[in-house]
Amino acid sequence: MERTGNAPPDDLPVAMVAEGPHGPVIHDINRAAGLAGVQRGARVTDMKALLPDLRIEYADIVGDRRAMEQLMFWVRRWCPWSVQDGVDGLVLDTTGSDHLWGGEAKMLADMEAQFSMLGLTAQIALAPTWGAAWALARYGTVRSICPEGEIPQKLSALSVDALRLNNGTVTLLRRLGLKTIGALADVPRLSLTRRFVKAKLNENPVIRLDQAMGHTAEPVSSPDAAPSFRAHARLPEPIMDPTPFLPDLCADLCDQMEAQGYGCRRLLLTVYHTDGDTHRIEVAMSVHSRDPDHLLYLFRDKLEAINPGYGFDLITLDAAQTEQMEVVQAQLEGGTDEAVDLSRLTDRLTARFGTRAVTRPALRESHIPERAQNWVAALGDTLERTKTTAPDRPIRLLYTPEEVRVLYAVPKGPPVQFIWRRQTHKITRYAGPERIAPEWWHDKPGTRLRDYFKVEDHRGRRFWLYREGLHGDGRGGDPRWFVHGMFA
Amino acid sequence: MPQNDHQHPKRTLAEGGFTPNTRKPFVELGVTSCFSFLYGASDAVDLTVTAWEHGYDALGIADLNTMAGIVRLHAEARKAYIRPVIGCRLRLITGEEFLAYPRDRLAYGRLCQLLTKGKMHDQTGEWQAKGACDISLKDLAAQSDGVILIALPQADHIEFAAGLRRLKKALPGLRYIAASYLYRGDDRARVNFLDRLARENRMSILATNDVHYHAPERRPLQDVMTCIREKTTIAKAGFLLHANAERHLKSPDEMIALFSEWPHAIRATRDVADACTFNLTELSYEYPKEVVPAGRTPQEYLEELTWAGAKTRYPDGVPEKTRASIVKELKLIAKLDIPQYFLTIHDIMMFARKEAKPPILCQGRGSAANSAVCYVLGITAVDPAQHDLLFERFISEERKEPPDIDVDFEHERREEVIQHIYSKYTRQRAGLCATVIHYRPRMAIREVGKVMGLSQDVTAALAKTIWGSWGREIGVAEAEEAGLDLNDPLLARAIKLADQLIGMPRHLGQHVGGFILTETPLNQMVPIGNGAMPDRSFIEWDKDDIDELRILKVDVLALGMLTCIHKAFDLIEAHYGKKYELATVPGEQASVYKMLQKGDSLGVFQVESRAQMNMLPRLRPEKFYDLVIQVAIVRPGPIQGNMVHPYLKRRQKLEKATYPSPGVEHGPPDELERILQRTLGVPIFQEQAMKIAMVAAKFSSVEANQLRKAMATFRSRGMVTAHKEMMVNRMIERGYDAEFAARCFSQIEGFGEYGFPESHAASFALLVYISSWIKYEYPDVFCAALLNSQPMGFYAPAQIVRDAREHGVEVRPPDVNFSHWDNTLEPSTPGVFAVRLGLRQVDGFRAEMADRIVDNRVNPYATLENLKTRAGLDSSTIHRLAAADAFRSMQLDRRAALWEARALKDAPDLPLFAEKDTADEGVDYAVTLPDMPSCEHVVADYQTLRLSLKAHPLSFLRKSMARQGYTAASDLEQMRNGQSVSLAGIVLIRQKPGSAKGVCFITVEDETGVANLVVWPKIMAQFRKAVMQSRLIDVRGYVQRDKDVIHVVAQELHDRSDALDRLSNEPVPIQLARADEVLKQIPNSHSGHPRNVRVIPKSRDFH
Repeated sequence: MERTGNAPPDDLPVAMVAEGPHGPVIHDINRAAGLAGVQRGARVTDMKALLPDLRIEYADIVGDRRAMEQLMFWVRRWCPWSVQDGVDGLVLDTTGSDHLWGGEAKMLADMEAQFSMLGLTAQIALAPTWGAAWALARYGTVRSICPEGEIPQKLSALSVDALRLNNGTVTLLRRLGLKTIGALADVPRLSLTRRFVKAKLNENPVIRLDQAMGHTAEPVSSPDAAPSFRAHARLPEPIMDPTPFLPDLCADLCDQMEAQGYGCRRLLLTVYHTDGDTHRIEVAMSVHSRDPDHLLYLFRDKLEAINPGYGFDLITLDAAQTEQMEVVQAQLEGGTDEAVDLSRLTDRLTARFGTRAVTRPALRESHIPERAQNWVAALGDTLERTKTTAPDRPIRLLYTPEEVRVLYAVPKGPPVQFIWRRQTHKITRYAGPERIAPEWWHDKPGTRLRDYFKVEDHRGRRFWLYREGLHGDGRGGDPRWFVHGMFA
Repeated sequence: MPQNDHQHPKRTLAEGGFTPNTRKPFVELGVTSCFSFLYGASDAVDLTVTAWEHGYDALGIADLNTMAGIVRLHAEARKAYIRPVIGCRLRLITGEEFLAYPRDRLAYGRLCQLLTKGKMHDQTGEWQAKGACDISLKDLAAQSDGVILIALPQADHIEFAAGLRRLKKALPGLRYIAASYLYRGDDRARVNFLDRLARENRMSILATNDVHYHAPERRPLQDVMTCIREKTTIAKAGFLLHANAERHLKSPDEMIALFSEWPHAIRATRDVADACTFNLTELSYEYPKEVVPAGRTPQEYLEELTWAGAKTRYPDGVPEKTRASIVKELKLIAKLDIPQYFLTIHDIMMFARKEAKPPILCQGRGSAANSAVCYVLGITAVDPAQHDLLFERFISEERKEPPDIDVDFEHERREEVIQHIYSKYTRQRAGLCATVIHYRPRMAIREVGKVMGLSQDVTAALAKTIWGSWGREIGVAEAEEAGLDLNDPLLARAIKLADQLIGMPRHLGQHVGGFILTETPLNQMVPIGNGAMPDRSFIEWDKDDIDELRILKVDVLALGMLTCIHKAFDLIEAHYGKKYELATVPGEQASVYKMLQKGDSLGVFQVESRAQMNMLPRLRPEKFYDLVIQVAIVRPGPIQGNMVHPYLKRRQKLEKATYPSPGVEHGPPDELERILQRTLGVPIFQEQAMKIAMVAAKFSSVEANQLRKAMATFRSRGMVTAHKEMMVNRMIERGYDAEFAARCFSQIEGFGEYGFPESHAASFALLVYISSWIKYEYPDVFCAALLNSQPMGFYAPAQIVRDAREHGVEVRPPDVNFSHWDNTLEPSTPGVFAVRLGLRQVDGFRAEMADRIVDNRVNPYATLENLKTRAGLDSSTIHRLAAADAFRSMQLDRRAALWEARALKDAPDLPLFAEKDTADEGVDYAVTLPDMPSCEHVVADYQTLRLSLKAHPLSFLRKSMARQGYTAASDLEQMRNGQSVSLAGIVLIRQKPGSAKGVCFITVEDETGVANLVVWPKIMAQFRKAVMQSRLIDVRGYVQRDKDVIHVVAQELHDRSDALDRLSNEPVPIQLARADEVLKQIPNSHSGHPRNVRVIPKSRDFH
């Protein structure tokens, strides 16, 4: 919330909630809520009872996880190896990197500063082992640094909580009087091992102690970031028009992607002006692609929008929303795949006219005919298909129903003849009525129901007529008739 | 005594006001009521009234796979002179649907059997899940004899046509296909198609409108129900909803017009309705015959048992008054032909007392305590002759309702009784009653809010504006307070819909103990389904339905105190060598009353609450009848009716008891004195209110009965006002003071919701006396028995143990070499016993493990290893025992035991080492661990046992507290009224009784005693967090004393749980008393018998 700029003031109690098995539970809280006694894991109703003006926000757990993952890559600015540690921790292997930042202390200070610029508070510690760093970051002094060989001294005063053990084991150790890491380390190893030989990792103080002290190795296995693709053209002289460079850039980018088996759904072209200004152009595709010609085509006429100013000297082309892409075999007898053509057309039109200009209809579940579809952006995500379909509907539905004069047996009879667009239609057959009531939760009170009739006139043309309202329904005068569509 | 106060006021039609309709050619048969849960949106009342207005003379009912709603419709339709045609809608597991209408009683029985089978067993014959009903075509074919089946086409009628041949083959009697004209566009074509299909198969179509609600206005509610059912919102529901509002009950004329092309479809409905002559009144109830020996009439046998019982009850001869009432009652019983009812109950109680091993304590209560026959039969334990009870309250000729006998059994053993009933009468003939769970306001607004897409905040705020579960309607003021704009159309619509949803049945629950026993198979009378609990099955009708059909039920209830008393009697017999029963406990012992007068009643039945404890020193009970009053007076009824203070004043002789009298010409001047003398002129019991109406206002017994009903059921305004006018006017006519008359009536009104009948109070008072007697005579036994009966009562084990120790009982900690599973007594000095805490007090310990320890304890366990191998325990069990400090007898304290216990391993030594002396891991070196300080021991005790015998946590803080000027709880006695005080203690109970106008009462405890805090609403609002969260609370305030009752009125409250947690740097769990209202709402309407519900005054919601 803070990063998006809508963080509440720190003195307002706020809690993030997540769905628990028995209703929502508190996922996390801010400082003010913590001071007011709100606890993590408690039920929201209980906490609301305690603090009626507690503000509740839904936690975005997936988003948090993704953000943490991003953060893991972001911290590689300090060192090449990093890995996530639990839901709220990061471990960096800074061996050999600290001198780049002017020593360990300065590196830690820089880290803290950088994190705070992101709007995050970080507790940081540096130690020769993962376990020791974990302990010092959470239970040690601010920005503590533990030099090689000083682990026992630094850790001995810390509580056994700092050993990454579960609650039951910590309670047991406390009850045994082994409250600090030092006290635990003083117990003869043989006696301790005998008692915890079969315990799982997070219940085993012996292994945890060894890990913290560096007797057992615990390497950082740093995951790789997803590959990024970029092509650039550095120009010796500033130029005014980037168009001639684009084909090469596209080809280069597509080669890169092909080499790794990727395709992209978004392209970002950045031009860097000589005066330091930059300009970006973004295009999107409906399906993943790495066809240089197609990508190039999407930029057509777009480049004209760039004001060259004094010209530019660097052009970069980045691929975004990349995903692994299978190689599709071309059809043997030549010709092209129609689906590909359609998606390419959509891409081109959207690139040319904007996302709102190209839309496609999507089915909506509604009994009201004109609400049974809506238009969504063509490049948007695919919608889930509705399972059931509406009853028989005309092939063409008028955008606005047109009022007609109808001859019918009052009050409820079927239509006999109607005049539409100055033509008289004598009805020879009809089916109906199909009665569609207004959506009471949606429509204004007083909206009248409709009785739809499928009719065929003497020339064999088939229409969809409806009568709005009933006689004496208390919602206005006599019912009115409308043409709403035509059947084939 | 209100019997339905946890239920929604049942909607019902008033008798009269209807005239019979003439015979109509059309009868609607496809009616789905609200008992097709979340399908139908109208109840029996609405359907009936609409049908009557439309001119129907008969109406069908066919709920989805259930008969739960038929009694309601039967009852309402009868009043409107409409003939109910009873049936149901069957949905097979393969999806086909039928309307099924039985022609006669036998066919109805078959239908019930069919539903029972589907509800009790799934298709593989296994125990069926609650609420499901699996019927296959084969099952249906087997039971379809005499049942008129009407096939309901699915949405796709082509598919239906394809499957019809198969149906027709399996069900040769299938003669009708339902056809509906629902304005779906293709109606005419569809009906024609179905008509042709029917003709081809030599069947006929039958017109129905597939009614889901009584009027088109109900469509929104039906849509909302659909959304609740499908767990979606109204905006997303789409085609799940119906396109229009046509599925309402249409008039016969309209239906005839719609089906003018197919007159035979209309004719078919009439044919079916005329063929189905089955009427629910044909369900003649028969008592089980087992209870009467062959060759005797039930009445003879009952009389014989009664007089034999009288001889044992009164060895010195039956008093004349009692003899007279026995004769009178027997006559009435014969007249109403209900002797078997008494014999059945007698039989069940005989099982508990004689056959069950060991015998189960049981006692009748409720209005049965008014009956001398019940007393001499041993059903109840209160001599009605001594208490001037009212037999008319039990059975009367005017009341067209069966009598009601509730029997309490020991709560831990009630299941035995239930299973005995099931096995003796078989599941085909015995079943528990259902309880219809209705939508309550909060639930309704929450569900509707969810469907309408209101945010959770708004829904929660709306729910909050409704106080209590059947609170008043949502008021403008409350809504504004909650920041809601009632003019918002979305909100207004949601509220309107929620309002309609309130009171709709939601699901069927199981009645806590109401048994129906029959001679004929029960499953031919009503479908029986499975409960959520294993081994429970219950019928589909609730108490009201059973009353309507005049079927008798027996309430088999559970009472924790009976378990406790039974266990106490056993302990007394084992250790003190004296044998007692409920009836042989020495009565009227002055010392017992003395104890109660001091308010020393922790653990005693009924009078252990804070309010009761405060009342005891004021009321000073001296005899049994005082206890009856004590039980009845500290209740919301008398408190709200302002009867407590007048009674106290008169009792303390500060005021003379006066009795208003009528004008001389109207009757004896002492007519009220006779009624009210026992309670010093203050009406306390419900019967007294009734008698006042009968004597002073000359109500006939019929009128009195109506008054009773108006009181007991919901206070429907109109009825109460009519009664009020009648009563007040008649009393004034007879020369009573107008003001007195009005007050009398308002007291009766006060009883409406919270009254307590005298007979009920008398049954309870007996248990109050017996439990007090045990507590006084054998405090050690009382403590052990109470602990062994947990969970029950108001208090947590820590408070029970503390109370016992204050009474000089030695309590010893659990130990593997001394403890059993249960808490036991062990000799300390000759004739004196100490309570040894049992292993059941150890958190998370299992009885089976304890049994193994005890069974193998021939000689003491010397080491942990020894215990482990001999008792065959796993190491985690040993760890648990070590953490609970249960190895002291091995000279191991908690720390040492835990250290040793960790060294045990589950696998045996490797075979190579088996012959050697050493273990495969080598020798364990001794390690010196630091000593465990006693404050850490205490904390660990609280963590593992929820109590500590070593010290009170506060004793470690006392030194520093004393320096800061804190008073100990025991010093309060020396303080004067109004003196300011600071106090700190562990929070035991927080209560906010509804009768106390928002005042919160907190009981706190320190090492010297307990103190009661009074928190006024203003302070409560200010220190809400401290009240809600503290385990250790710091109070500043002043002393308020009245006689022996001392309160601390709080002015400032602070949460100091941190000080408690610092004792060992770990959270100290404090077990709150069971009566604590922040933890759980009392009464908990789901776990208790309706009659128990208001035994503890209802608390205002803390939230």
